[in-house]
Amino acid sequence: MDANLVAAQLFSGLTSAMTLFLVASGLSLIFGVVNVFNFAHGSFYLLGAYFAYQMVSVTGLPFWPGILLAAVGAGIAGVVMEYVFLRRIYGRGGEAGFQILLTYSFILILDDVVKMIWGTDYKSIERPESLSAPFTLGEISVPRYDLVVILVGILVAAGMWWIIRKTRFGRNLRAISDNRDMASCLGVNVPLTLSLVFGLATALGGLSGALSAPTRTVTPGAGIEVIIGSLIVVVIGGLGNFWGAFVGALIIGEVTAFGILFLPQWAILFSYAVMALVLVFRPEGLLARKGSA
Amino acid sequence: MRGPSAAPGNAARGQLLQWIAVFLFFVLVPLGRRSFFITMANEVLIMGLFAMAFNLLYGVTGMLSFGQAAYYGAGGYTVGLLLTKGVLPYSVALPLAPVVGAALALLLGPLCIRLSGVYFTMLTLAFAELVWGVVFKWYGFTGGDNGIQGIPVPEWFHHPLHYYYFTLAVVVAAVAVLRRIVESPFGAVLQSIRENPERTAFLGIRVRRYQLAAMVISGAFSGLAGGLFAGFHRSIGPDMMHWTKSGEVILMSILGGVSSFFGPLVGAGVILFIEDMIGKYTEFWEIWIGGIMLAIVVFFPRGVIGTLYQWTRRKGSRERDGNAAAHP
Amino acid sequence: MRSKGMKWQAMATIGLALVLGLADVALAAEKIVIGGMYPMTGRAGRYGIDSVAAAEIAADEINAKGGVNGRMIDLIFTDDKSNTTYAVKVANRYIKEDKVNFLMGVVSSAVGLAVTEVSKENKVIFVGTDHASTALTMEKFQPYYFRVSNNTYQSAAAAALYATDKKEWKKYYVIGPDYEYGHRTWEDFWMLLGKKRTDVTMVGQAWPKLYEPDYTPYITAILNAKPDVLVTSFWGGDTVAFIKQALPYKLFDKMKMFNYDGGGNYEVLEALPNTLPKGLVLSARHHNNWPDTKENKEYVKKFKAKTGRYPSYAASGAYAGVYFIAEGVRQAGTAEDADKLVAVMEKMKFKLPEDPDGFTSYMRPIDHQIVQMQAIGETVPNNSFPPATMMLGNWKIYKAEDIIPSVEEIEAARKAVKK
Repeated sequence: MDANLVAAQLFSGLTSAMTLFLVASGLSLIFGVVNVFNFAHGSFYLLGAYFAYQMVSVTGLPFWPGILLAAVGAGIAGVVMEYVFLRRIYGRGGEAGFQILLTYSFILILDDVVKMIWGTDYKSIERPESLSAPFTLGEISVPRYDLVVILVGILVAAGMWWIIRKTRFGRNLRAISDNRDMASCLGVNVPLTLSLVFGLATALGGLSGALSAPTRTVTPGAGIEVIIGSLIVVVIGGLGNFWGAFVGALIIGEVTAFGILFLPQWAILFSYAVMALVLVFRPEGLLARKGSA
Repeated sequence: MRGPSAAPGNAARGQLLQWIAVFLFFVLVPLGRRSFFITMANEVLIMGLFAMAFNLLYGVTGMLSFGQAAYYGAGGYTVGLLLTKGVLPYSVALPLAPVVGAALALLLGPLCIRLSGVYFTMLTLAFAELVWGVVFKWYGFTGGDNGIQGIPVPEWFHHPLHYYYFTLAVVVAAVAVLRRIVESPFGAVLQSIRENPERTAFLGIRVRRYQLAAMVISGAFSGLAGGLFAGFHRSIGPDMMHWTKSGEVILMSILGGVSSFFGPLVGAGVILFIEDMIGKYTEFWEIWIGGIMLAIVVFFPRGVIGTLYQWTRRKGSRERDGNAAAHP
Repeated sequence: MRSKGMKWQAMATIGLALVLGLADVALAAEKIVIGGMYPMTGRAGRYGIDSVAAAEIAADEINAKGGVNGRMIDLIFTDDKSNTTYAVKVANRYIKEDKVNFLMGVVSSAVGLAVTEVSKENKVIFVGTDHASTALTMEKFQPYYFRVSNNTYQSAAAAALYATDKKEWKKYYVIGPDYEYGHRTWEDFWMLLGKKRTDVTMVGQAWPKLYEPDYTPYITAILNAKPDVLVTSFWGGDTVAFIKQALPYKLFDKMKMFNYDGGGNYEVLEALPNTLPKGLVLSARHHNNWPDTKENKEYVKKFKAKTGRYPSYAASGAYAGVYFIAEGVRQAGTAEDADKLVAVMEKMKFKLPEDPDGFTSYMRPIDHQIVQMQAIGETVPNNSFPPATMMLGNWKIYKAEDIIPSVEEIEAARKAVKK
């Protein structure tokens, strides 16, 4: 195994990791603050992809504005889901079960909505011209688009960190995730903040879907596929921990990239194996503070 | 949220009536002479048992497990593998199914119970996916993604009517045992854990032990349901262990009403019936089922039985003290 | 005590029963009921929806000509959700409630394996129209099962013949989805190629999960191994995703991609307008542009008129299935006597749109697998089937008899499975 191969796998692992992180970040955010495991997260990913298709391939908008609008669209859809439906079950006895059912029902509904509007054909978006050419560093040749995705991943992580740590909004988020009632007593507009967080998280999901659309298949059913992958990342890193999702994604990405060199027959089990290891020795996740469960 | 609890006095008679009603219903289904009804009812019984096993964890003990399909599948594969490899006959393999389910729960349970709340739920989901992954991948042993077909149960069982009454007998027995468990002091402790784990611990009770016991029992009955399924369909596959299967029983329980003992069974019947009906008429079944789920969550959170119970109470007798009287 | 009244009552009852019985029979004589199960949601949804459309076209054509011996074809469809448990339930309902004469479908091989058991138990003929697992005609064969689309063995055999002629193809790398279909497609090919060429080696393999969204780490590993040929056993969206992700790495300049079972399916060509590279070596179970016969053109035209798009190959399987059933009923003179139908159908020849001039598809009694010709081609520019901008061309055609397992091979495989 030579240095080139190592470098190539390191890099492709990083690309995978950043995409995984982008997809999982919204899930982690909602879980950390609102304590809701949004099963429908994958559906917002899907919405983002289809919106992007609609903007870029059908309406003919330029690429980046199309992607951003798609993310915003997914965010709005998320706010609607939270405001009209999810809100009704906050504080109910047995809330967890209802959360699951409600978000799960959205998977089904959105899947059919997407199918009814756009049909079952595979949709395509093209990468922007400027990013089609590869970027060469020595022996390694890497698509520019992937570089951009990595950049976006890092930006999102940094941006979220900044928002959570350095803004008032972020402070409110942390207060709410600690103790919702107390935060309310202290004057935080909890309902508004919750809706905004939800919208932000689903926008992230939509962004990841839109960004992935040029390189993956846009098809109904794609939503359910990403949810388990995101779950694994989030569980490894620590439920509700944003940096945990980042670290979890990195681990999965690189373990897969190198694992397939040695054990190509077992690729499908790598992420499960890592997850099992983490869960056995540190069930709250790698980055969670002890006793945060 | 209330769970099933011991019923005082008159309510006990109401309970017995319920039992008889349900039993009679299932006994008389074949009289309809529609062979498809028998198949449907058989499936309802099996899924109903599975759902009631799940509800022991959720409705009674307050533990939302998203991984019960692992035990259901374990039971199914126990029967499927033992029979196709000719190792043991059905009469031995079926009783082994709950044993394997319980053993798996004993293995995974302690790993999941370390955390609580939604964390617990996610752990159960994660481990169940792991089990699914292994079964899916182990082509040489489990048949991988193709599963196992043509499970050789004894000829007598091939007749739908025979297998139906056999299932009914097994399920009735299993449910009776479940019922005893729920109404026993052990069951009372479980419900107390659901209501307030901390206070229960203060009473000197080893909460974790009871939770693990609940998981093992639930795993056993889930495994039994899986074993029954293997004999019924005579084809099994890894989708028995997929997380969507776990989701099905959650849906059935909540739809039927987690606070009542037979709720999950009713839920199973309703869901299977609706699925069949809707599937017949449209390819867009997802939006219908999703819509129904949504409506249940928003408008009928107590489920079918719970809501019915609410309506009948409002019509008739006065409310007793603030604590709603025990559900039948 | 006997009385006049009783006698009249008895006669009236018998008369009524006769009338009702006859009416029942008379009504049944009207229709041939086919119960179809296809996925209509999720990744395979396109295949199911296309199959339904094509089956309806076939049924309409047949009914327009007066049906089969005066009996009309009636189609029922249900989404099987690619779920074996649900499909078995639907199959049972079809048989017991809807009283179908035939079962037809499915796309997922796992579902096919489960439904064939139902077919066997109930002695109802099951016509397979798209799933490809060879097991259904080899180890798990039962007499009420027929398949009217080619299986993985046939695609692999044609591919092995193609590869044998390519002397410059020496180093092979395989990547495919990690489940039985993905593996079997490769294994059949590699085994058959190994019999003809001793100078070929496998330099690497990769088995991502089905529907894997991200192939990037695999792509870099493949590039590093520097094979001459990359065999891929992806289908549908996975093929599309892989090509999209491999393009910027210029993978297709460095090696040939060879996907001989599902790679050339129209929906792949359609999903990559303007980006699909030239020179990919692909095949499919039916091609919209081959053979260039009147029948094939007609079929494609009708499909486009009905649905607004060109068909994926699953559709041709469903089309064939309906015609197969119709012809079987016509020759056997019954739609109810399953054993008589089996005896007739297993020897049938019937012309399909995918048959080139001079060839007619036929069924083999030993495994109830349809025998057809196979064509492998390369992607070349072709604008006749928008939105695709490339179709297959530079065809190499393979004779049907050259690509089927021999009777000895089949019997050996079946014996090996018996316990």
